[in-house]
Amino acid sequence: MVAILQSPSAPTQADFHAAISDRSDRWFSACLKITRNRDMAEDAVQDALLSAWNKRHQFDSSARLDTWIHRIAINAALQILRKSRPNAFEPLETDIPDHNDTPEHTRANQELGKNLAAALTHLSEIERVCFVLKHLEQWRLKEIADEIDTNVGAVKQAIFRAVRKLRVRMAGLQGEAL
Amino acid sequence: MNDDTLVLYYYNDGLSDRERRQVEAALNSDPAVAARYEALCRQLNDMADPALHAVPAHTLQRWHDSIDRAAQMERNRQQQPTPSFSLPSFVWGAAITAALAIGIAIGVFFTSADTNAPIADFRVADLQPQDNATAFTRGVKMYLRDTQQELSSMPVDTAADRAMLILQIVEQNRLFERAAEQNDSQSLARVLRAFEPILLRLAADDIAPEDAEALRAQLAFELNVMLTKLSRDASKDSQST
Repeated sequence: MVAILQSPSAPTQADFHAAISDRSDRWFSACLKITRNRDMAEDAVQDALLSAWNKRHQFDSSARLDTWIHRIAINAALQILRKSRPNAFEPLETDIPDHNDTPEHTRANQELGKNLAAALTHLSEIERVCFVLKHLEQWRLKEIADEIDTNVGAVKQAIFRAVRKLRVRMAGLQGEAL
Repeated sequence: MNDDTLVLYYYNDGLSDRERRQVEAALNSDPAVAARYEALCRQLNDMADPALHAVPAHTLQRWHDSIDRAAQMERNRQQQPTPSFSLPSFVWGAAITAALAIGIAIGVFFTSADTNAPIADFRVADLQPQDNATAFTRGVKMYLRDTQQELSSMPVDTAADRAMLILQIVEQNRLFERAAEQNDSQSLARVLRAFEPILLRLAADDIAPEDAEALRAQLAFELNVMLTKLSRDASKDSQST
């Protein structure tokens, strides 16, 4: 019975090592964008690896192992974030004011290369997570809503607010660069 | 046609077929909408994935190790003979289970007092949040002390016995880790989580005796640090009340 359930081409220990060597920086970076905390991102990848190893016989051999682990790692990061800040994904009715416009923050952002990473720091938790999952990870709105226990409408609103803020901020940063 | 609708059109998600056709019609017939959409696309396309963050070498090694250990544990489990009654293993298992039961009873029962309020007796109703925290801390301390004792007197001659005992400790550790998270003790949960890779390394059947001894010493040290910290925190709490 077990033999029937187990995929004959379940990824091996060597496959996992190869995936870790080749792609763990991507998993870690994705988790870091979600959690904004290095320890939490490291824990998410660690949890994802053990979870993927334990479920490796369920792996669809037509898929890519690193992509599968990537997805599990993001789920783990969301779970860790939710545990650490239980209200992180509560939808906001209104835009939150941007408290990060101090001269120190502006300078820090300039030093960060005026890139998206810097602009993302100005978003609320739900805005950042929804934008990262939609724009960078290409998740469907429904998937995002299901994963963070909210509805599609709330995800859309979070993305709209995120895009509005990012467009203003990125345009400002590009203007400064000229 | 507002920009929010154009954002959904860009992502090809969240619009019905009818809404998509409306956007397409507006883009074809209204140059102002087309120009706005073009600007939006340009800006969103510019929001490329930020640079990758390098994983620290020691973290990368930990991830590789965790796969090796998980694989090793699996092999150990598969190599174990069909269960037969073993008195030493039974005694160890019973002792660990008893410690687990006591620790969990103290830690988890009291921390869930609030949710049990309607059916709880007067003792539970009288509990304050601080009592919950104290009870939980007491449970954790008891678990850490028991683990210290188990590790110091653990048989190292048979790998299978050792692996089985450590697996039980790992299970306990996970229970306390979850309980710590439920008690908003994130730092404690992290410390308990950090014990797991060390325990798994200790469980490997190919570990050299001197390496096993070093790992046991490392665990004993970590447990001691944690116990001291918990005692100090408890002492501070009692002084502040």
